[in-house]
Order: sequence, then structure tokens, then C-alpha cells
Amino acid sequence: MLTENFCYKNISFPVCSFAHMKNLINFLIQYSVVFLFLFLEVISVTLIAKNQDYQKSVFLSSSNSVASTMFEWSNSVVEFFKLRAANDNLSEENTALKNQLVKLQNQLVSLKKVTPDSVHFRIPPEMEYQFIAAKVIKCTTNKTLNYITLNKGALDGIKPDMGVVSDEGVVGIVKTVSTKFSVVIPIINPKIEISCKFKRSNYSGGLLWNGEDSRYANLNDIARHVELALGDTLITSGLTSTFPEGIPVGNIEDFKIKTSDAYYKIKVKLAVDFRTLSHVKVINYLNYQEQKDLEKKSEEQ
Amino acid sequence: MPTVLQNIIRFILLVLFQVLVLDNIQFLGYINPYLYILFILALPVRTPRWFSLLLAFGLGISIGICSNTPGQHAFATVLVAFARDGIIKLFTSIEEGNNPTPSFYTFGVSAYIKYVVILVFLHNVALFFLESFSFVSGWIILTKVVLSSLVTILMILGVQSFSKK
Repeated sequence: MLTENFCYKNISFPVCSFAHMKNLINFLIQYSVVFLFLFLEVISVTLIAKNQDYQKSVFLSSSNSVASTMFEWSNSVVEFFKLRAANDNLSEENTALKNQLVKLQNQLVSLKKVTPDSVHFRIPPEMEYQFIAAKVIKCTTNKTLNYITLNKGALDGIKPDMGVVSDEGVVGIVKTVSTKFSVVIPIINPKIEISCKFKRSNYSGGLLWNGEDSRYANLNDIARHVELALGDTLITSGLTSTFPEGIPVGNIEDFKIKTSDAYYKIKVKLAVDFRTLSHVKVINYLNYQEQKDLEKKSEEQ
Repeated sequence: MPTVLQNIIRFILLVLFQVLVLDNIQFLGYINPYLYILFILALPVRTPRWFSLLLAFGLGISIGICSNTPGQHAFATVLVAFARDGIIKLFTSIEEGNNPTPSFYTFGVSAYIKYVVILVFLHNVALFFLESFSFVSGWIILTKVVLSSLVTILMILGVQSFSKK
């Protein structure tokens, strides 16, 4: 009896396990589509999560070569219709610059003095910004997460984190760079907040887009004791290393405050019209690395 | 196989039309119709499910790369491809062995409209919520979902009513 039982157990074990295996395989085959579905959805979610990183892979963005070549081609057609407005802007800016040049030259003549030889190479604060001109080859305004693709990239000296401006004002911040193209997160993408301040009173706050209309954004963190007026001009605060101080951001279109609120709700009309955006300048802040290193060092200590 | 060729051409045309034309439509600021989902809706009824899932994933990634949001589009499109079979079984009774392409003629007008409305709405809900649930208030997303779905549905029904039997 005992031996019989023992034998039975011994034999039944592999048989039983084989049946289990068969069940398992049947189960897998029966639900293979569900598993494939779940697998693909998990990949998608991983992509979304990865995409939250500031700098993501170039391959999966519109700066990859196939997508950007296509956009460049399509832009060459569309751009034709924007030429007139772009020309007007350029000539206006040209005149302003010429005036400024004359003024500066006069100042320079009166101020000229011999500068001492410096031991260390140093970029003086007033010369630490350079501009890299670039063309917008793709720009969406009707999505919640809008992005802009530019026709210049690492070869032209563009790096992630650089600020982007147009003749009218602040556009956004460079996100990804490939050799010939780059992708910019514009202000009209709720993923970034631009630090800006009032030209009149110097109070600063963060500008955030609410995902609705590409012409307006909201300004937060302005306390109720600050005096405001409709039409007040907002400029960049210069508190981040991305934008120098004083680049126009927009004007106050409307503001509200309830008696119980500590902060204003301010609606800002953006200086840049993203629907007609065609030419931009990328800001190369030459002391960027030094400032970052110093700030990092002092945080560590 | 004319159906295969027809679907390849449809895939390319819909991606190009979506990326180069529809993504640039500026109407009320809210509306971004996603017509490309028509590719999944118009796959023949008996397309193997695993194959339509893979196609959906490829389609979503292609569209997503061009708008810098690959995961969101892939997720929503795969979801639609997965839900499609159930919806077809729910509203139509297609005989075994038949493999029609979904349209007004093969499904019947009311069944086809229901099929399009439900799947487009599903696609838009998944897409818009994934895109912005942490950034933007729910009401704005809801408005966007409703308006974009409406325009997409009208476009698909419009395109389909012109297509031949």
C-alpha cells in the first residue's frame, strides 16, 4: 500500500505538471492578444514617462532626420505666405538697431580709455550674450503640449536649455538638439514656467500657460499689495541663466482678485504671436557653464 | 492584393495629411482633429487582432514623433484597435467568412455612426487626458475632447459618405 502510493505520487507528479504546462500554454494562446495589448500599452506609458525628462532621445522627437526634413520641406511652401509680415518686422528692427548703433558709437567715443591687460580671460557681463539666428520649420499652437522645431542644431552651436526669442519677445527654451535641428518648448506649453517681472515695479512671478488660447498666459505669485494697471509691460527677470533681463514677455490684459485671495489672477497677452512665428534667435549665454558650476558647488557645500 | 496596397497608401496619406495639414489648423484654439484614426477604423473586419494592434502602435508612434508626444498617441491608438473588435461584434452581425471594410454600406448607417462615434471619442479621451492631465484643468480638457471628437467624427463620416461601395 505504502509503496503503491509512493509510486503513484512519483508518476503523477510529471504528468500533473505537464497538464499544468498545457493549461498554461492554452491560456497564453487564448489571451495572447490581451497580452500584446498590455505589452504595447506598457511601452507607450514608458515612453510618456520618459518624455517627462527634460532631455529625451532625439530619435523620438520631431528633430529626428526624417521628420525634420519633411517639416523643412513643408515649411518652404508655407513660409512663402509669411514673407510680407516677416519683412516688415525685419525692417522695423533694422531701423531700431541702426539708431541704437549710432547712439552707442557716440557713447563709445566719449568713454574710450585704455583697458588694463587682464590676467584671466573674462567675458564682461555686457558682452556675455550671443544670438544664433534660426528659422521655425514647425510650430503648433492648437495642442496642449506645443513644440517648435528649428532648422539649426548642434552644428550651429545650439545646446539644450538655451533661451529662444523673436523680434517681439520671449519664445521658449531649447529642449532637444540633433546635429542639424532642435526642438523648443514654447511658453505656450504648460511644461515650462518663465520667470518674469513688471517693467514698472520690478515685482517678479512665474508665467504659466493654461492650455487654452495661444495668445494668452497666466501670471502667478503676484501678491495683492502690488499695484497693477491694465497694459503694464512684463519683461524677463534675468533671475534664470536662460534669458537676460529685459526681453518683453507680454502685457496685462486683465486681472482679478477676490477679497479672500492673497495673490492676483493675472491674464497676460503674450508679446509673441505664435501663429505667425517664422524667424527666431537662440540666445547663447557664454558664461552659462561657469555660472552653473558655481551654483552647483555652493549647493553642495 | 488590392486591399493591402489600399491600406498602405491610406496609412501614408493619413499620416502626411495629419502632420502637415490638420496639426496646423487654427480654429478656436481648441480644435485639433485627429483624422488619422480613420486608418484603424477602416481596417477590414477580420484583420488579425495582433496585427491591428501592431499597426496601431506603429501609426501612433509615427504621428507622435512628429508632434513630440509619441507615447500618448501610441497608447490611445492601440486602445482603439483593441476596443474595435468588441464594438463591431456589439453593433453588427457579419457572417462568418465575410471580411468587409467598415463603412455605411457594410455596417448600415446607424451602426457605422455608433462605431465611429464611440471609437473616436475613446481615442480623444485617452489622448487628451494623457497629454495634459497634470497640467491643465479638467474642464478645458473636456471641452477639447468634445470639440475635437465632434470635428473628427464629422470629417470621418464626411469622407466615408463620399467613398464608393
